[in-house]
Amino acid sequence: MSNRYVEMGLKAPVNLTWEVSLACNLRCSHCLSSSGEPAHGELSREEALDLVEQLHRNQVFQVNFGGGEPFMRPDFEEILDACHQRGIMTCISTNGTLLDEARVARLAKSRLVAIQVSMDGATRETCDAIRGRGVYDKAIEAIRLLAATRIPTSINTVLTTQNAGEIPAMYEMAKSLGVSLRVSRFRPSGRGADNWEELRPTPAQLLAFSDWLAKSGDVRTGDSFFSLTSQERQGLGLNLCGAAKLTCCVGPTGNMYPCAFLQTDRFKAGSLREQSFKEIWDESEIYESFRNLRIHSCEECTRFDQCHGGCPAVAWHLKNDISGGDPECLERCVTSIADANRAAKAA
Amino acid sequence: MQLHPACRVRQEGFGLLFYDSRGPRLLFVETGDLLTPEFFSGDEPVDNRLARIAPASRARVLGLLAKLSEKGYLREQQIC
Repeated sequence: MSNRYVEMGLKAPVNLTWEVSLACNLRCSHCLSSSGEPAHGELSREEALDLVEQLHRNQVFQVNFGGGEPFMRPDFEEILDACHQRGIMTCISTNGTLLDEARVARLAKSRLVAIQVSMDGATRETCDAIRGRGVYDKAIEAIRLLAATRIPTSINTVLTTQNAGEIPAMYEMAKSLGVSLRVSRFRPSGRGADNWEELRPTPAQLLAFSDWLAKSGDVRTGDSFFSLTSQERQGLGLNLCGAAKLTCCVGPTGNMYPCAFLQTDRFKAGSLREQSFKEIWDESEIYESFRNLRIHSCEECTRFDQCHGGCPAVAWHLKNDISGGDPECLERCVTSIADANRAAKAA
Repeated sequence: MQLHPACRVRQEGFGLLFYDSRGPRLLFVETGDLLTPEFFSGDEPVDNRLARIAPASRARVLGLLAKLSEKGYLREQQIC
């Protein structure tokens, strides 16, 4: 990653997360946005299509759709088509329960879409404990339908203490289904904050995952696992937080944020109902503050060049300080285990 | 030679920014005004495109094309 160019400021994000609706038919216990009912005043079809046109004009390469469950929006496929007609690549994060043969066939007509189906365990028991009864089977069915097409498909798993031991099995399961595995970081946002202590992986689990990840080059992470990845893996992806520099988030009502895990008033960069996408990207003080963010407390760390202080969203949710460094980075996992061992010996 | 379907390019202040959705990966290339994103679009043969580049810069452009091809951002164009 050439940080110098990123720091010069890009004229638009390279990709963005667009949470098209908060509506969801599931109530997953780790949901970053507490999805369920649609948000009051979600963007209308016309507003959504106008945003697609703005993204095209600004040459945003890719839109990652999430939510909520994107397919809960009746006009979602129309929004998707509008992106594809303009050459914008898309990736949909879905729970898979609303994918049937007809919908998958429609999606497969575009070569610009990729799909991530969320699953949170290699076993029915583990997955359904987080996502709800019957979801495991429906997700597997959706993956089978997708794997039979040319749509690039992955299983997206949020690493929690419950499923940390099943990640290698999930990798094998993904392989056997003909798709790839992507592991996302659990963050204390939305319902994830309510269930943080119950679901957060232990430092030992994070270290074990990091070791496994280093040996599993074809597993994708993408979202800020750089704070946990080994030096060898850095070449595969980003090594700094891209919020407001390479990426950003559009919420269901058209508010823009640095990232999907910071969708609060404190981090609202602007509203697409009041300003254009370009104005917000170029002029938002929130975005400017992220572009100038330096994690000085981490600068002496031997891993600083690899993670640049880690995920500001985790730092915010756990310490109320985006510049305080990632409280769950690899280095701190090691320190925390050593401290616990010392305390145990002393006791 | 064409941009791979999973890749995109746009002009930035420093030159060209390439994006590969398969990673995702980014490639920052300090091309200045040497090349525009349009160079990578269309079906015109590479030789024709290169003919419009100043002779002194052609070697540099060829080097860049080789690097892009090696990294998977470009793919060979089918003749028929």
